[in-house]
Amino acid sequence: MSTYTALAKANYKAYTRDVTTMFFTFAFPLIFLVVFGLIFSGQRVTKGGLPYINYTAPGVLSWGVGNAALFGVAFTMMHWRRDDILRLIWRTPTPLSSVLVSRYAIALGVGLVQAVLFTAVALLPSFGLHLSGGWPTGLPVLLLGVTAFMAVGLVVGSLADTPEAVAAIANCVMIPMAFLSGAFYPITLMPHWLQDVSHVLPLRYFNDGLLNAFSGQGGWGDFGINCGGLVVFTVIFGAIATKTFRWSNGR
Amino acid sequence: MLIEDVHKAYGQVRAVDGVSLRVEQGEFFGILGPNGAGKTTLIEMVEGLREPDRGTIAVLGTTPWPRDVALLRRIGVQTQASAFFTRLTAVEHLRTVAELYGLGPDAADRSLAQAGLTEKAGTRVDKLSGGQRQRLAIATALIHRPELIFLDEPTAALDPEVRRTLWDMLRALRGEGRTIIHTTHHLDEAEALCDRVAIMAGGRIVALDSPGNLIRALDAPTRLSVPAGRLSVHKAEAVDGVARAYEEAGEVVMETREPGRALVAVGELTGLDQVRTRTATLEDAYLRLTGSEHTA
Repeated sequence: MSTYTALAKANYKAYTRDVTTMFFTFAFPLIFLVVFGLIFSGQRVTKGGLPYINYTAPGVLSWGVGNAALFGVAFTMMHWRRDDILRLIWRTPTPLSSVLVSRYAIALGVGLVQAVLFTAVALLPSFGLHLSGGWPTGLPVLLLGVTAFMAVGLVVGSLADTPEAVAAIANCVMIPMAFLSGAFYPITLMPHWLQDVSHVLPLRYFNDGLLNAFSGQGGWGDFGINCGGLVVFTVIFGAIATKTFRWSNGR
Repeated sequence: MLIEDVHKAYGQVRAVDGVSLRVEQGEFFGILGPNGAGKTTLIEMVEGLREPDRGTIAVLGTTPWPRDVALLRRIGVQTQASAFFTRLTAVEHLRTVAELYGLGPDAADRSLAQAGLTEKAGTRVDKLSGGQRQRLAIATALIHRPELIFLDEPTAALDPEVRRTLWDMLRALRGEGRTIIHTTHHLDEAEALCDRVAIMAGGRIVALDSPGNLIRALDAPTRLSVPAGRLSVHKAEAVDGVARAYEEAGEVVMETREPGRALVAVGELTGLDQVRTRTATLEDAYLRLTGSEHTA
């Protein structure tokens, strides 16, 4: 048994035994999906354009997955540092990579389960999503999205020393982004300058990538831009995370 | 373990200010001192968690800073804040730690049994009592059978009975030839267990010797006490060999530097029933040396 599987198992048990986190990870985004789905049932964003559900489903999915990856990792890092679990790990011959990779595996697993669950609900007749044949291009987008938001989460988890601080910072990041990136509100309905601004937000690329995958829009060029955008954010926040990581809350 | 002229400051605060000491293999060594004396900082530097500003540290022949994985396998650390994996049971926590050391589940089960927690194996770590958490923390520190063991206030939250059980466990570890470095506020514990103790105050070592020698160095008087009705303070002061007498908590207390003579004289006056003698303890030495003496 490697240190990686040991930590992945410990993480998995801690995750699945936490009802609150499970709720915010799986049920909470689903509420948005149901509410938006019912409000905009049968409507189209522009005349002859895509049905609303084609925006709502990838929007709620990208936001829900990004939110869970960011919050989950940030909370784990903050808790593990505050409760000296990181110190305990430090004292064993465990490399830091095992700590990060095991947490990454959990984040990916959670993202995948969310994707299956939210898509399945959106496909129900009452919501009426029709997946295009190009949906598998959403998988690499999903993977890169989880990675990018986990990198942001690592930074938040290193900056914040209390659960309140994690929640405050993460909410400040995620809630405005939900609207500005087109996740909760179709980007095409926003003013042009806001559409331009949204390109500095990782959720824009994540959401666009999933939107295109669900609806079979956009070519390989768009796919490349969206994946590339997420990689750039991963690199930036990954670099910041390596600078800000701390094993303990020392003086 | 060898520490030479180690300094560590946090801003203006000199947490550790020129400490030198040597702990031999197989020794049971105590570090005593009030909160903020620098004990924890010193131990954090010895285990390699912090870098000293100045001075050298050698643990089992190597320098602990930066993180030395080979050295970490040979030392075990129990800290006051019991760090356990979130939402796991006691045995799941220990098995996770065992795996991090590359050990099998049997190591976890053995460590659990050693700490007397086998019955609590399936209890979530957050549901354990203070004493049980303390024992689980010790089990965590001992899981990989380290040669050098650091215990930070290991009996802080334990009731007297469990405390004694733990003492036996610690004595057994020492019997196996392991080196134990132990910080504590319980002076009786240090007196009962430690071969030598260092008393720290203000980031420095103010005394370093065996508990017996520290007490003898105090040259404190022996106190004899009898129930107050048996002897008046006035009469007590006149007893042969008694230097001073006073009444305290329903007893007449006599201070003497010739306990044999005074005891015989008291015996002739009142009989020896219910006469109690109290000699200086490590606590008296500690209070004097740390400058926090409250009693005359």
